[in-house]
Amino acid sequence: MSATAARAQGLVARHRGLLALTAREVHRVLKLWQQTIAAPVVSSFLFILVFGLSLGDRIRGIAGVDYDVFIVPGLVTMTMVQAAYANNASSVFQARFDRYLNDVLASPMRAWEINLGLSLGGAVRALITGAGLLALTLPLTSVPVHDPLVLALAVALALVLFSSLGVIVGIYAQSWDHTSFVQNIVILPLSFLGGTFYAIDSLPSPWYEVSHVNPLFYVINAVRYGFLGISDASVTLSLLVTAALAAAMVAWSSWLFATGKKLKA
Amino acid sequence: MDSATTSPPALELRGLTKRYDDGFLALQEFDLTVPAGEFFGLLGPNGAGKTTLISAVCNLIRVTRGEIRLFGIDHRQPAARRLIGLAEQDINLDRFLDVEETLLYHGGYYGMSRAHARRRAREMMEVFDLSAKAHVRAPKLSGGMRRRLLIARALMHEPPLLILDEPTAGVDFELRLDLWQYIRRLHGQGTTIFLTTHYLEEAEELCNEIALIRGGQLIARDSADGLRAAYGADSLADVYVRAMAQPAGGPAGAPGGPAAGADGASAAGGRDREAAR
Repeated sequence: MSATAARAQGLVARHRGLLALTAREVHRVLKLWQQTIAAPVVSSFLFILVFGLSLGDRIRGIAGVDYDVFIVPGLVTMTMVQAAYANNASSVFQARFDRYLNDVLASPMRAWEINLGLSLGGAVRALITGAGLLALTLPLTSVPVHDPLVLALAVALALVLFSSLGVIVGIYAQSWDHTSFVQNIVILPLSFLGGTFYAIDSLPSPWYEVSHVNPLFYVINAVRYGFLGISDASVTLSLLVTAALAAAMVAWSSWLFATGKKLKA
Repeated sequence: MDSATTSPPALELRGLTKRYDDGFLALQEFDLTVPAGEFFGLLGPNGAGKTTLISAVCNLIRVTRGEIRLFGIDHRQPAARRLIGLAEQDINLDRFLDVEETLLYHGGYYGMSRAHARRRAREMMEVFDLSAKAHVRAPKLSGGMRRRLLIARALMHEPPLLILDEPTAGVDFELRLDLWQYIRRLHGQGTTIFLTTHYLEEAEELCNEIALIRGGQLIARDSADGLRAAYGADSLADVYVRAMAQPAGGPAGAPGGPAAGADGASAAGGRDREAAR
């Protein structure tokens, strides 16, 4: 056995708990595929059909891009961040509510491994739904990939941000209403107002300025640049804002797991 | 020297205090030592602090103060957590997993390789008569099967210390006898058992040593015979009633109470009684 293979095997052996927890989270996503994957893909695809293909001809293009193409990056982003958030918020809350999280908390896994394992389920679900939506969309609209590096970085940061947010809300939530409140009253409106369906620079003052305090605006802007090469704000700034928010969420969730606050009485 | 004197105790609590966020003091300066290989029973009324104690040992609550060691290792260390198997009082099985998956994922959480976990899961399903239900999800199992799965899960990673929090609550008589038999066999193979129960006959039947806890403090500890002698009681039920009726502050003033010198108590038991005063 080569030294690299031996090192890899040692790494796997040291982190079997993390791998098992990640596998469990992905297992849950796949077991509930109708709810976790099919439903969000279908509902977002309907947006593309209705707003893009049916009404798109009546709306002039934005920044030289056809409207049915313009809305795809925003809808893919919205679908993915909602999937990442909703998955982790509901999985963690359910695990707390039914108390099977105790099996994980009592195990020899380190706090960061538990945090990462629970977070990765949402990220995997988001990637599957995003890929599913694109697979349905691409035959109907010709969405290019302008800058794969920016696209990959923007998606990765967005998934870290919303996966961690889901874990945090799952830890704080006292009822299912709390998890859906954040989804319906915070993430969904911010996604709509963050430029999913329009360019921010078409808004009058003060809505133009207000849009710049919406974190989803930066996330959508960076992803849209990755796909289409057009943006409403500096791509670097968008990536930095997304990265800063992702770092804050990771720090918050890490603190919760390290101290046991809200997880342990 | 025998191994009991050279090996560290399975469980050692020193000054363990737990005050919940609402101010409720569940455990107060609690000292306890359970030697390796012991079959130890903890009895007390609801709210006495039994589950809090277990939760503290298993890293499920934040300890306010004090020290917990498992076989000499700080309980927060991963190496220590690998040494405990916990079957909680309430059924807390993952609703998305079937019987086999429940065991396999648990094995993974505890660092078992996939092949090892598969072998052990098959063995556990065999022992607990769950093989026919291997692919049935936990919520669809009967109450008795869920209880058996809970204990199988706790034993999956072969822990040297098994903590059973009221394992036979709500279990029919036949299953209770089966569980007793299995737990006895495990103990015979060297596993330390820490049992809480409301069934006094269960404690008497199974445990080498029994401790009584009330209001977050240890009030007595001895063998069943020792406790009966110390309290001048005919049955463990009488001991329990008298111990729980003692005025707060411990057994010191109780005629014939354990502080008067119960025989058969270990040195550790003596320390616990001192601390309980």
